[in-house]
Amino acid sequence: MYKAVVIGGSAGSFQVITKILSSLPKNFPLPVLLCLHRLKHVRSGFVEALSIKSTIPIVEPFDKETIKPGKGYLAPSNYHMYIELNKRIALSTEEPVNHSRPSIDLTFETAAQAYRDKLVGIILSGANRDGALGLKKVKQLGGLAIVQDPNECQVKTMTEASLKSTQVDHIFTTQQIINFLLNLKE
Amino acid sequence: MTRFELGIIDSRNVIKTLHDVYNYDFKNYALTFFKRRVELFIAKYNLKDADGFIRKIENDKDFFELFLQDVCVETTEMFRDPSLWRVLKEDIIPSLARESSHFKIWFPEVSTGEELYSMAIILKKLNLLSNAQFIASSISELNIEKIKNGYFDPKKIEVNDSNYSRIFTDDTLSNYYTNENEKVRWDTSLIDNTKFLKQNIIFDDYPKGVKLILFRNQMIYYNQILQERFIKIMYNCLVPGGVLVIGNNEKIEYWNSEKDYTLIDKTERIYKKKLA
Repeated sequence: MYKAVVIGGSAGSFQVITKILSSLPKNFPLPVLLCLHRLKHVRSGFVEALSIKSTIPIVEPFDKETIKPGKGYLAPSNYHMYIELNKRIALSTEEPVNHSRPSIDLTFETAAQAYRDKLVGIILSGANRDGALGLKKVKQLGGLAIVQDPNECQVKTMTEASLKSTQVDHIFTTQQIINFLLNLKE
Repeated sequence: MTRFELGIIDSRNVIKTLHDVYNYDFKNYALTFFKRRVELFIAKYNLKDADGFIRKIENDKDFFELFLQDVCVETTEMFRDPSLWRVLKEDIIPSLARESSHFKIWFPEVSTGEELYSMAIILKKLNLLSNAQFIASSISELNIEKIKNGYFDPKKIEVNDSNYSRIFTDDTLSNYYTNENEKVRWDTSLIDNTKFLKQNIIFDDYPKGVKLILFRNQMIYYNQILQERFIKIMYNCLVPGGVLVIGNNEKIEYWNSEKDYTLIDKTERIYKKKLA
């Protein structure tokens, strides 16, 4: 049984992510960790925009906040978001990785170390290679690796980079991702 | 290329060495962060693995200083979060100045100095620079020297300038730095009133009678034990009614903490020490 879902996305992922979040049941049994590239000077608005559609509550976590099931955690703008081994969020302003802060690689890598084979990692549409190494780590540590079908992505760079570096478990359309997550319920 | 990955036992050995040899205790740093800093340091200096790191660092004090510098995360930019600096300029600082003609401002980990220079510029604009005494602590001697020399990364000019223009529109940040053959340098007279303190991780000697503390995005690198210890140290340093500013996504939360501090600005994370 899985214990957490981590999702990374960039250009072209906003509609996908809102569709996913609006399809989850209110009592979704896992936490959803979200690392999405975003404008660094726009501190507010994004979490509100996601929350409008989402059935589960979405927060920009405080540092060292305890991760709880049925809740979404969005990496705040201009911070990296790490998952500590004790299942708490840790934030960081260290140098950008892949020109990105938050970096999807760092959230995925630390989530993989915290959740090992109990993690589902999903890479969505995006315009750079961030996330490819992170998804590889998820797979290496026994987690499940899913990539959005590049044919469906507005921008394919990110999903194609992930497919190149990792033997993923599934290549899914948005609807298939949703169906998969709904089945986690049982 | 795959990077060397620091395991849990490696982390423990590294922490033990730093403690035994230099009396610096990193055990209450946030684990993912500390692991990453050591890994990046090992890669940067081609030390191969944890044993390579330990062998090199235990015999070389200068090398240890380089490590301390790398543990201090570079502040990302000048005037990070311009909306906070507007509140400081329009509200917090003027009210400090009304209460007393001289006031102490403390930076418990000044890191690469952007917060210090930003604050100095705000005070200069308000004609209050000579009324303030800055105290800047850091675990890194090398960073302190760098701050005193005033050189900074030219790559950051653009974001620094743009942040400044979100706070002040009557002049530009370039009034406060010069370009010297490819290097950019702050006007170091801005920090003439600064007392620098090289510190261990836990303070043995900390300032008293402080009116304002800026400690943003530093406690995120600590675990909750060390965070709480710092918040209590800062409580003792502040005068009643003194102000503590922490990072956007940080909060003060320990048993009975609401008896010590009041949150006065929820968005900018500004706290006030309660009157006894």
